[in-house]
Amino acid sequence: MFASKRLSKELIKMQEHLPPGISIFKAENLEEWQMDIEVLDDNPLYRGETYRLKFTFGSRYPIEPPEVQFIEVQATESAPNSKRPIPIHPHIYSNGIICLDLLGSAGWSPVQKVESICMSIQSMLTANQKNERPPGDSDFVTYNRRRPRDINFLYDDDNV
Amino acid sequence: MKLDQFLAMDVGSDDDGFLDLRALEYISDYDDHLMCPICHCPFIRPVRLECDHVFCQTCLNSAIRSFATGRDGFTCPTCRTPTRDVYLNVPRLLTNMCDEIPVRCPFSNEGCKEIIPRGHIQSHADKYCGYKLMDCPSASCDQRTRKKDLSPEDKCMHELHKCLRCDEDIMEQDYEEHVQELCPSLKTTCPDCQVTVFRKALREHIEACPEAIHPCAASKYGCPIKMKRAALGTHEQSCPLITIGPYFEAQNSRLDSMELTVRHLQQRNEIFEDGLASIRSTLVESSRAFSAHHNNTATNNTNDTPDAPSASNSRSNPRSSSTTTDDSAAPLSNATTYLLSLHESLREEVAQLSHAITDLDARASMAIMNECLRLKEDMAHTNAAVNSVRMQVQWLMNPRLHQGQRAAAAGASTGGQNSGDGRAGSSAAGLLRSRRLSDTGREGTKL
Repeated sequence: MFASKRLSKELIKMQEHLPPGISIFKAENLEEWQMDIEVLDDNPLYRGETYRLKFTFGSRYPIEPPEVQFIEVQATESAPNSKRPIPIHPHIYSNGIICLDLLGSAGWSPVQKVESICMSIQSMLTANQKNERPPGDSDFVTYNRRRPRDINFLYDDDNV
Repeated sequence: MKLDQFLAMDVGSDDDGFLDLRALEYISDYDDHLMCPICHCPFIRPVRLECDHVFCQTCLNSAIRSFATGRDGFTCPTCRTPTRDVYLNVPRLLTNMCDEIPVRCPFSNEGCKEIIPRGHIQSHADKYCGYKLMDCPSASCDQRTRKKDLSPEDKCMHELHKCLRCDEDIMEQDYEEHVQELCPSLKTTCPDCQVTVFRKALREHIEACPEAIHPCAASKYGCPIKMKRAALGTHEQSCPLITIGPYFEAQNSRLDSMELTVRHLQQRNEIFEDGLASIRSTLVESSRAFSAHHNNTATNNTNDTPDAPSASNSRSNPRSSSTTTDDSAAPLSNATTYLLSLHESLREEVAQLSHAITDLDARASMAIMNECLRLKEDMAHTNAAVNSVRMQVQWLMNPRLHQGQRAAAAGASTGGQNSGDGRAGSSAAGLLRSRRLSDTGREGTKL
C-alpha cells in the first residue's frame, strides 16, 4: 500500500517532467519499471548509446531500496534503434548488476526516488574514464545466482 | 526527544476510526516543499530533526527502524547529518498549509461528492458523511450499509425482499429505489405520444419522442410557436426568427458592450462633475472675499469722485446678487467677466504709463545733450579768452624781464664793493629763476 501509493505519485510527477537523458520505457505496474538513460556529455565510452535500467520494487519501498540493474536488449529488425547494451564501467558487471552504495541498504535513504537513482547512475557513467569491467567479472557472472540485494558488496572506491 | 522515546510513541495511524490520510485523493497539486520526501504526501503529523529536515512521524519512524547500523548511527535521510534527537514542534504554518489541501471524501465510491480541506476530512467522515459504511445493527448480519441508509429502528437493511414485478431479490435498503426507478418491469406511458416504455428508459424516450411538444429554437427571440418535434424541423427551416437569430445575437453583444461603455462614461462624468463642483465652490469663496474688499474701495471712490457713482453702482449690483445666490452660474460668470475687464483696464493703464515713462526718458536725455553742447561752446569761448589774456600778460611781462637781466649784469660787474647791492642782486636773480621755472612749467603743460 505504502509502496504503491508512493510509486504512483512518483509516476505522475515523472510523466509531467523528467530530467534530460532519462525516459520511462515501461511502468505498467507498480512492481517493475524499466527506464532508459543516456549519457549526455561527450564521454567516448558511452556516446550515442542508450541503456536500460530495470527497477524492482519491494513492498517496503521507499524504506528499503529497490533492486536496480542494467538489462541488455538486442536490436530487432523492425526496430534497429532498440539496442540496449550493458555499459562498460569498473563497477558494472557484464550481467548488468551495479555495485553502487546508494542501492545497498547501507547507502540507501528513503528520500531517494526513481528519478534521483537514474540521475546518480547517469553521473556515475559520466565521470568514468576507464574502459574496463570490475575485477573478477567473468567469475562473478558465471557463478553468481544471487539476487543483487543479497550480494555483500564492498564499497571500496570513493572516486565514483 | 531521543530516538528511542520517539520510537516508543504511539503511531496510531492504522487504528480503526482514523482515516489513512495517505490514501486520500488529493484534488489540487500541492507544493513540493509540503511533501514528505519519504511518502511524497503532504506532511502528516510532521516532526523535525536537528538539521531542520521535516518528515511525517510514521515515515521517520519506519526509516529509523529499518536503519541498518543501529539507532545510534542514524543519519537524516535527506542530508545524512548524524541525528540523535527528534523534535515534535514544527511551525504551525506548515501544519496549516498541509491541512488546507483539498481532498476528496474517502467514501466517494459510495456516492459522496464532497471535497474538503484535509484538516476537516476526519470530522466529515466521522459525523457528517452520509455515505460512510457502517456495520449492520443486526448482530447476525455481517454486511455494511451506508450511514444514511440506516433505519431508525436499528433493523437489518440487508434482508432480501422479492420484487413483486420482476421476481428479483432486492435488499431492503435498495428496495425503494428499485421499485421507483430501477425495476426492469416497470412501464409507463409517454405523456406525449402515449407509447408505453420502461420507466428507466422514459427519460431517454422523452429526449427523442417525436410527439413531444417543444418550443421553436427561436423562442427566445419571440417565436411563439410550440409544436411536436416531428413538425418542428419543417417549421424551423421556414421560421424567419431563426434565420435572423445570428443577427440578434450580434446586436445583443453590441448592446452589451455599449452598455458597458456607457456605464464607464457615466462614472467618468460623475467624477468630472464632482471636480467641477469643488472648483466652483472655491471660486465662489474667493470672489466673495474679493468683492467684499472691492466694495470698500468702490465706496471710497464714490466719495472722492462724485461724477462716477452710477458706474460703481452698476458694477456692485451683480456682485451683491452673486453673494446672495451662490450656486447659480450667472452671477459667477458676471463676477468673472468683471474681474477680467478690471484686469484688462489695469493692463492698459500700465501700458500707458510705460509709454509716458519712455517719452520722458527720451526728452530728458535730449535736454541733457543740448545743455552739454552749450556748455562745451562756452568752455571753448572761455578757453580762447584765457589764452588771449595770457598772450597779453606775456607780452607785458617781456620788457620787464629784459630790464631785470640788464640790471643783474650791471650788478655783477660792480658787486665786489657793495655787499648790499650783491645781496639785492642775488635776491633779484632768485626771483628771476623762480619766474622762469614757473614759465617753463606753463609751456610744458601747453605742449
